[in-house]
Amino acid sequence: MISGLMLIGIIILLGFFVLMFVIGGYNALVTLRNRYKNAYSQIDVQLKRRYDLIPNLVETAKGYLQHERGTLEAVITARNAAVSANTRAAQNPGDASAMKEIASAESALSGVMSRLFALAEAYPNLKANTTMMSLMEELTSTENKVSFARQAYNDAVMTYNTRREVFPNNLIANTFNFGQAELFVVEKPEQKEAPKVAF
Amino acid sequence: MDFFDRQDKARRNTKLLVFYFALAVLCLVLAVNVAVSLLFTGFTNYGLMIRNLNPGSSANESSLPWSQVELLLWVTIGTLAVILIGSVFKTLQLARGGSAVAELLDGRLINSNTTDADERKLLNVVEEMSIASGVPVPQVYVMDSEPGINAFAAGHTTSDVAISVTRGCMKLLSRDELQGVIAHEFSHILNGDMRLNLRLMGLVFGILCLTVIGRILIRTRGRKNPLPLVGLALIVIGWAGVFFGRLIQAAVSRQREGLADASAVQFTRNPTGLAGALKKIGGLTYGSRIQSPHAEEASHLFFANGLGNSLFATHPSLTERIRALDPSFDGKFPYIVEGLISAISPAPGAPQRLQQIRAVQAEAGRFAAPFISQHAVVANIGQATTQHLSYAADFRQAIPPALEAAARDPLGASGLVCALLLANEPSMQQKQLEDLATGTSDAMRDETVRIRPEIQGMQLQAKIPLLDLALPALRHLSPQQFEQFRAAIKTLVASRTKADLFVYMLQKIAVRHLDTYFLPEQRLVTQFYALRPLAPDCGVLLSAMAYAGQENATGAYAAFAPGAECLSHAARCEIPWLPPDQCDLSHVDVALARLSQAVPQIKRNVLNACVQTVAADGVIQEGEAELLRAIADTLDCPVPPFVQLQEASAPALAED
Repeated sequence: MISGLMLIGIIILLGFFVLMFVIGGYNALVTLRNRYKNAYSQIDVQLKRRYDLIPNLVETAKGYLQHERGTLEAVITARNAAVSANTRAAQNPGDASAMKEIASAESALSGVMSRLFALAEAYPNLKANTTMMSLMEELTSTENKVSFARQAYNDAVMTYNTRREVFPNNLIANTFNFGQAELFVVEKPEQKEAPKVAF
Repeated sequence: MDFFDRQDKARRNTKLLVFYFALAVLCLVLAVNVAVSLLFTGFTNYGLMIRNLNPGSSANESSLPWSQVELLLWVTIGTLAVILIGSVFKTLQLARGGSAVAELLDGRLINSNTTDADERKLLNVVEEMSIASGVPVPQVYVMDSEPGINAFAAGHTTSDVAISVTRGCMKLLSRDELQGVIAHEFSHILNGDMRLNLRLMGLVFGILCLTVIGRILIRTRGRKNPLPLVGLALIVIGWAGVFFGRLIQAAVSRQREGLADASAVQFTRNPTGLAGALKKIGGLTYGSRIQSPHAEEASHLFFANGLGNSLFATHPSLTERIRALDPSFDGKFPYIVEGLISAISPAPGAPQRLQQIRAVQAEAGRFAAPFISQHAVVANIGQATTQHLSYAADFRQAIPPALEAAARDPLGASGLVCALLLANEPSMQQKQLEDLATGTSDAMRDETVRIRPEIQGMQLQAKIPLLDLALPALRHLSPQQFEQFRAAIKTLVASRTKADLFVYMLQKIAVRHLDTYFLPEQRLVTQFYALRPLAPDCGVLLSAMAYAGQENATGAYAAFAPGAECLSHAARCEIPWLPPDQCDLSHVDVALARLSQAVPQIKRNVLNACVQTVAADGVIQEGEAELLRAIADTLDCPVPPFVQLQEASAPALAED
């Protein structure tokens, strides 16, 4: 009878140990998930800032670029698409489809923006406009911040993904629905870095 | 009682806590044993009855008492094991500091560059308090799913503090009331309560363990889920633990809350703010209740009772606390409905106060270097006053918008800190930037260059507060980016052709506070209880400070002597006077690391000696004062900024 009780006791203790272990693993995953979600909100802040700057830039450029209406409209369309993609991604950072959408919207936007910057090169008056100059400077620095924040986000996603794949966390992750998080990679076919403007 | 005495008292309280804990464990083991033996006796009686019915079976009567002893032994071991595993588990989990607690209670980290009006207000209040008290700006969390009004500060040291407030607290309180609550939390930070509180949380978890796990299991959802039933059983078994856990929490927490209220009022000089917050708690349906299943473990951390009123309340009653602040209180709480109040109260006091501050700022030009009384420095540690608070508000107003924006963004903040470390001489600056370019990413270097003009010509006094403001954003770096940033600032200091102690200390502050966040396993423990083994380190520090403040060696020795004399009394041995090459930055680094592991009373002596050295020539200049603040920070002693103290400084200067 005693040995039976002892056995039960040991089983309970072991169970307790395992429970603690599971709670620990679960908490670690929650922390890492919070971290990458938080990292996305850093991107979100900078992206929103950029989306706010673009219409101002277009408004300023309009007077000079009478014959380039097409490019200006393309910029605004791409910007609006990126805004809605970002809203979706910000609600659910790490979600595969949302992240792919924002990534492609962003690379489309960068593409048209660099076309706009290239065009502006041909208009000395526009380049000399002080509003335009400060807007472009602001935009470049925001662009830097976006890519810096994106790097932080991708680092956080990698850490989370690795942690959820290793044993025994994969068991915990599968039981409690910790899904794989998606990286935010912007592909820029022509140009790898932020549009550089030379004055 | 000054900062160091309070820290010492907190350490003594820890011993008391361990005693309580041992007592509670003993009682808990006894309680479980009694319960089991009652159960067991029930079983054996039943067994005897069966045996009596079957006289054929041979009942071994004499083995029963022994087996019972053996059983109780196993029960004891089992109970102890559960408590031990629980306590160790929780202590490890909390090793990360305040953010671990905040995340446990479903806190959401507020981004340093948030645009939400309520979040901004909260961050501004916290930033002002930080600048005023010399504590680095903590991480701020909001518990979105908590409608009540409550808050807590948690952490081991000033570098890993997290302040967490409920949604109700953020939305329902006016700026003045919020300031009262945050001041209350800051006085917990300055009183050394936090480390004790975290330790308590770890230990008590072992005792509360079964109940807490039970509560979490009860809330799990799902069809055919047996967990809630298991949870219920655990709660029933764990009642004794709850009893003792709450007893300890109440015993440790209750008295400190009164103290924190008093220091908060001393800090803001505005009892109506804190009293208003307490009244709103009384009037709100949710009160200060915390819904999270983890509220039990953390109940002693909160601003007000998190578990509802009971015999073992962790805080004095609301009426009692309000009466202490506002004797005319009639005991009637205002009726508060969420949603209504946020429309009514865009803090009527706030804009008016800002105008006043601007007026003061305009007339007095308060950013001129203040005269500092050497007697006031050490006494001021951890003692922020209303003057410091209004100075902090002025300071925040005076920061150029570009710098403010930079300090709130991870990349901008990295650039800002790098720019703070740049030399004034163009040639040296050029070299620093070249070295920076080889070591780090282009983005960080570009940002440094962009911010550089804003920093040039900035007052020395603004540098530490700016650095403190940048810390929250820097915690958003990814570990990889932090590694880069850490290397970058070390490069900047190393590539200066002429070593500068203050710049080195700035770098040290940044590294120290961020390392505790990014590399939590490197936590230091107190190792030195006597000054004597630290005499060589004191020698290094004082010599380095003497050389930094004086042009030639004789002047330096004259500065060193008073400080060394004051320490050699306390240490009862000689403090060595060192040549410059034996007290360079790498030596200072080692010395400071060792000194920071000393008990508070030793730190007091060391800082006193530093003040003597700096004040040897009769005046404490702005640069020297900031150096003192930086050194005190690395020893984990927050010094409020040196503001013009009208009454205190004038007579002291006359003496000199």
